[in-house]
Amino acid sequence: MRATIVAGVAVLALAVLAAGAAGGTSVRDCPAVWKSGWQHLANRLQAPVYCPTWMPNPLDARIGGDYQDIYSIGKDRSYLVSFLYHGDQGTGDVHVNFRGYPGRTVIPRCKTIVLTGSKTLRGTTPCFADAHGTRKARGIVATVYRVNQDADQWHVLLAWRYAGSLYTVSEHVIRPYTYQQVVSNLDKLLASLVLVRPQG
Amino acid sequence: MRFTRRRFLGGAVAGALGGAGVYELVDRLTAAPKRQAVPLARLPKEQHLLDLGLVQVEGVEVVVPPLHSEVVTGTLLNVSDLRTAQPKLEQALRSLEARYAENAAGLGVTVAWGLPYFEQHVAAQAKRYLPFDRRAQKPVLLPSRRFPSDPQDTILESNDVAVLLRSDSRAHIDDARKALFDDLPFFSMTSIRRGFAGGGFEGQGTQSLPKKMAMAAGIPGADLIPDNAELFLGFTSTQKAGLGPRLIANHETLGYVDLGTGYFHGGTHMHLSHLTEDLEAWYLNFDFDERVLTAFRPGMTQVKQGAQTVAQGPKDIGPPEQLAHQFKATGRFGHSASIQATSRLQQDFVGHDGTVYPKGTAIPQRADFNTLDNPFAWTSSPERDKKSADPVAGVHFVVFNPTGDDFERNRLAMDGVLPDGTKLRVGARSRAAGFNSVLTTTHRQNFLVPPRAHRSFPLAEL
Repeated sequence: MRATIVAGVAVLALAVLAAGAAGGTSVRDCPAVWKSGWQHLANRLQAPVYCPTWMPNPLDARIGGDYQDIYSIGKDRSYLVSFLYHGDQGTGDVHVNFRGYPGRTVIPRCKTIVLTGSKTLRGTTPCFADAHGTRKARGIVATVYRVNQDADQWHVLLAWRYAGSLYTVSEHVIRPYTYQQVVSNLDKLLASLVLVRPQG
Repeated sequence: MRFTRRRFLGGAVAGALGGAGVYELVDRLTAAPKRQAVPLARLPKEQHLLDLGLVQVEGVEVVVPPLHSEVVTGTLLNVSDLRTAQPKLEQALRSLEARYAENAAGLGVTVAWGLPYFEQHVAAQAKRYLPFDRRAQKPVLLPSRRFPSDPQDTILESNDVAVLLRSDSRAHIDDARKALFDDLPFFSMTSIRRGFAGGGFEGQGTQSLPKKMAMAAGIPGADLIPDNAELFLGFTSTQKAGLGPRLIANHETLGYVDLGTGYFHGGTHMHLSHLTEDLEAWYLNFDFDERVLTAFRPGMTQVKQGAQTVAQGPKDIGPPEQLAHQFKATGRFGHSASIQATSRLQQDFVGHDGTVYPKGTAIPQRADFNTLDNPFAWTSSPERDKKSADPVAGVHFVVFNPTGDDFERNRLAMDGVLPDGTKLRVGARSRAAGFNSVLTTTHRQNFLVPPRAHRSFPLAEL
C-alpha cells in the first residue's frame, strides 16, 4: 500500500510538473469539484481563503468529500479545515490542515495542561513554534514551524501573512511520509495555493 | 574512501555494507580525532578508565569520546576448570594491551561480570569477597530491576560477562572481540552492541557524526537533528564537568563500600542498558526552549537559541531544593536537575589519596554511545530480544558508579523518586518528566568491574 501511495505521489508530482511546464507560471484555479466548498467558506468568513490545487496522495481537498475531517469556524472567524486519510491496514496516515485567522496576524496561543499529582497546571504556549527558515512560492513567504499544538501537533506547518490575516497549512509527519517528504509535500502545497475571494 | 552526501542519502548504502553494517560508515564519514598520545608508565589499576582528550565547545570543556564503542555480552561455556581458564583469558587480555595503547587511539577493554557469574560459578567465594554497600546496606552488585518509567517488557538480562571495547579504530575492536570471544573457548556470545559518538568536534564538517549516521540509516526525524549535535538528542553530553573525575566511581573512593579483604579495590559497578529514542517526538513536539528545560531544568531562559553545549559545572546547577520548588511552580522537572541530588557531591569530599572533590562534582562516569542497533547488532536470542534489521535511534547506556545502589538512586531520581523519599508526582513517562517520554528502555543489567588484577574470572583462583 505504501508503494502505491508513494507511486501515486510521484505520478501526481509529474502531473503538476507537466501542468507547470505546459502552462508556464499561469495561475491555476481551484479545481472545479473542490471550489464550491472553498468559495462557500470564503463567503461565510467574508475573507479570502486559500484553496490547494494539489494534495498529497491519496487526499483531495474537497470540503464535504471523503477525506474531509474537521471543518471548524470560530467566533473570531478563524477556521480549521482538515483532510485525513487513515490507513487501517497499518499503511499510515496522511493528514493536512488548513487554517486562517482573518483580521489578525499574530501567532495564536494554545492552552497547555500539566497534570501533577492532584494538581492541574494550566498555561498557554504559542500554537506554532520552533521556526526553521522560510519557503517561498507564488509570492508567499512562509515560515516553517516544527513544533505545533492541538490539531497541528506532530505536524510541520507553514505560516504566512496576507492582507492583514494569518494563514497556515500543515501536514502530519507520520508513515508513509518522512519529515523530508512532508516538507516536500508542503512545498508543493504552497506552490499550488490559489486565493479564493469572497463573493456577494 | 569517503561518501559524498549523494552516495549515502536514503539509507540504501547501509544495506550494502559488510560485517559491521552501517557502522562502517563511521570511518567513512569522519576522521579519527587528533589525540595527544600520552604514554602510560604503567597501566592503571582500574579497568574502566580510558584517557580521552578535551576540546572547547561553545566555551565549555568537552571530553572527546572514542568514535567506536562496542559491548559484547556472553555466558560461560562449559568451563570445567576456571583456574585453568583464568590465566588463558588474562594472557589474551595482556596480548591486546601489548598490541594497542591503552587510550582511544589504541583500545580500551573493560571486562565486567554479572550476578549469574558470581552466583553460579564462584558462589562460595562471592559470599565472602563481593563488596558490600554500607550506605545502602545492600550488596554492591544488585539484581537488575525495572524503574517506574520502564515499560513492563523491558528485558532484565542475565549475562555472565560483558566486555566494553572502545577505540577510534573499528579494526582494533574487531581484533579484540575475535581474541576474546572467537579464539578462546570460554564464552558463548549472547549479543554484540555497537555504536558511535562525537566525531564532529574539530569543525571539519558541516554535520556531526550522529546526524550523518542517522541520515544514512534513514532514521525518522534524522533531518531534525541539529547539524553539529554530539548526540541524537542535540545536546553535548560529554562535557568534563558532567562526568565524574578519574577515580570517583571506584568502589573505595567515596567511602560507600565495605571492601572487606580489598580484592575489589580499584573496581567499580557498571550498568548497561539499551534505550530507543523517538527523535520525531523530541524535535516535533518540543520546541527549543522546551528541549532545554526538559534536558536541564525549567527556568533556564538564558540559553541561546540553538545552543548545544549548555554549561553544567558545579556553579551552573541549581541546589537540590530548587527541584521541588520548580516542580511545584511548573509541574515539570528537567532530566539534569532531577538527578543533581544523587549524581553530584552534596558537600566537599577529600579522598583517601588526598584528592579534593568539591561540592557539585559529578560522580557517575558515563561511557554511553549512540547506536542504530535494534536493539543489538547481533543477538543469540533474536526472538526474545525482538531483533529487527531496521535501524532505530538509540543509546547503549554504559555508566560506572561506586555501587549498584548509587546507580539506582540516579535512575529513580530521573523518574522523580528522590533519595529523601520525595516523589515528584507526575506520570513516569510524561513529557513533564525530563526525557522520559521520548526514551524507551529495552534491556538492562548490572555488572561488577573488578580491578585490572582480577579481571579474568574473578575469585576463581581462591
